[in-house]
Order: sequence, then C-alpha cells, then structure tokens
Amino acid sequence: ATAPRRKREPALPSSLVKKIFSHYVKVPVARDAFKVVEKCVEVYFRQLSNDLEAYTMHARRKTVEEADLELLMRRQGLVTDKMPLHVLIERHLPLEHRKLLIPVAMSGNKVIPHK
Amino acid sequence: REEPAKDSSQYRLKAAVHYTVGCLCQEVAEDKGIQFSKQTIAAISEITFRQCENFAKDLEMFARHGKRTVINSEDVKLLARRSSSLLRYITQKSEELALNNLEQKERKKKKSSAAKGRTTSDEQVEAVMAESEDSNMA
Repeated sequence: ATAPRRKREPALPSSLVKKIFSHYVKVPVARDAFKVVEKCVEVYFRQLSNDLEAYTMHARRKTVEEADLELLMRRQGLVTDKMPLHVLIERHLPLEHRKLLIPVAMSGNKVIPHK
Repeated sequence: REEPAKDSSQYRLKAAVHYTVGCLCQEVAEDKGIQFSKQTIAAISEITFRQCENFAKDLEMFARHGKRTVINSEDVKLLARRSSSLLRYITQKSEELALNNLEQKERKKKKSSAAKGRTTSDEQVEAVMAESEDSNMA
C-alpha cells in the first residue's frame, strides 16, 4: 500500500508557466523570479474566481457564462471598443480552441468549385 | 466667439466639480491644518471629472450585465467591490438610504391615509351641505 499523498492546491504546472512567461519576456529570467511568477498566477486565479462569482451572482445566475468573462476582461482593460473579445481569441488561442469559441460555418463553404 | 453646446456644458460641469472639490479641500485643510495650492485643487478636480467617466461606463456595463437599463445600488456596490473598506462604507450608506426611503414611504402612507380620511370627511360634509342646499332649494 502506498502512503496517502498530501492534498495540494491545484495549480498550473510550473513548466507551462515557465514556458508561457519566457515566450513573452524574451530575456533571461532568474529561477527565483519564476517562483514569484507562479505565486502571482496562483493569486490571479483566486481573484479571478471571486470576480467571476460576483458577476454571475449579479446577473442572477449560478453558472459562469462567457458574458461574465467578457465583463471581467473589459474591467481589466483587455477588452475595449477597439479590441473586441473575439479578436483577442483569434490572436492568442490555438486553432482547436478558436474553433470551439468562434463557430465558423464550415459546411457548404466550398472554396474549390468542382465541375 | 461661439462654442459648441457640448463644450460649454462640459465646462459648466467641470466648474461645478471644481467648486465642490474646493469646498471639500477647504474642510480638509481646516481639519488637518494644512494648505492646498490652487494647482492641487485643480488637479483633484480634473481627476474627479475623469474618474466619473470610468464610473459611468462601468455602471452602465454592470446594469446591462444584470439585464437592466436602470442603474441601481447593486451596480454601485459591484463597482466598489475591489476595495473592502470602500465596499463596507458604501454598503452601510445604501442601508441607511434604504431605511430612510422606508420611513418616507411610511410617512407618505400615513399622510395619504390621513388625507384620505380628511377628504372623505370633507366629502361627507360637502355631501351634507349639498343635501341641505338641495333641501333648501326644494
């Protein structure tokens, strides 16, 4: 029998945080700086969940929806009138996620007309 | 020189804000025994004016999020959520306002009921008068 593992708070894998952060900074980052970044990510998620809860309750719902997230990103100044949400999605998310979020009419959209 | 109506109204609003900020700064100055320069008061006024723009946009957003077209106290609380001390203060104030509103409503009810009572009695008197007049006429 294996010893019961200690319950840890769920967190993003540090390798992923490291990868994303170094992709954007483009300068060498010290190891202890990455530790701080991980802490920040943890705090960010905690605050995100609190905010989303408040916005969902405000709309008298019990399920977080896309509208709540868009409102949050608007308040964060990420989404503005000049920078709509779907533009951010197009810019930062991989294709399979974009397809889920921005449904495109794929059927009957024949580029090459067959004779 | 003529100016567009929007500009002149904006200047009037800014002047009103500036005046109130001046009064508030004076109170603080007397309270703390410090001096505010004219530039400082002007800067605070400008900050206040621009902050109002942010508040207005956010409140509008929150009301729309709650599928409403009228901004209510819940939206204002959501605006102040970030700072716990401010939220406490706003919540306290909104409760006070709610209590005042209730009291006023009750007073109105009492007044209106009293008025109704009076009107009924007046009407009765009038009716009696009319009857007596009628009888006199007859």
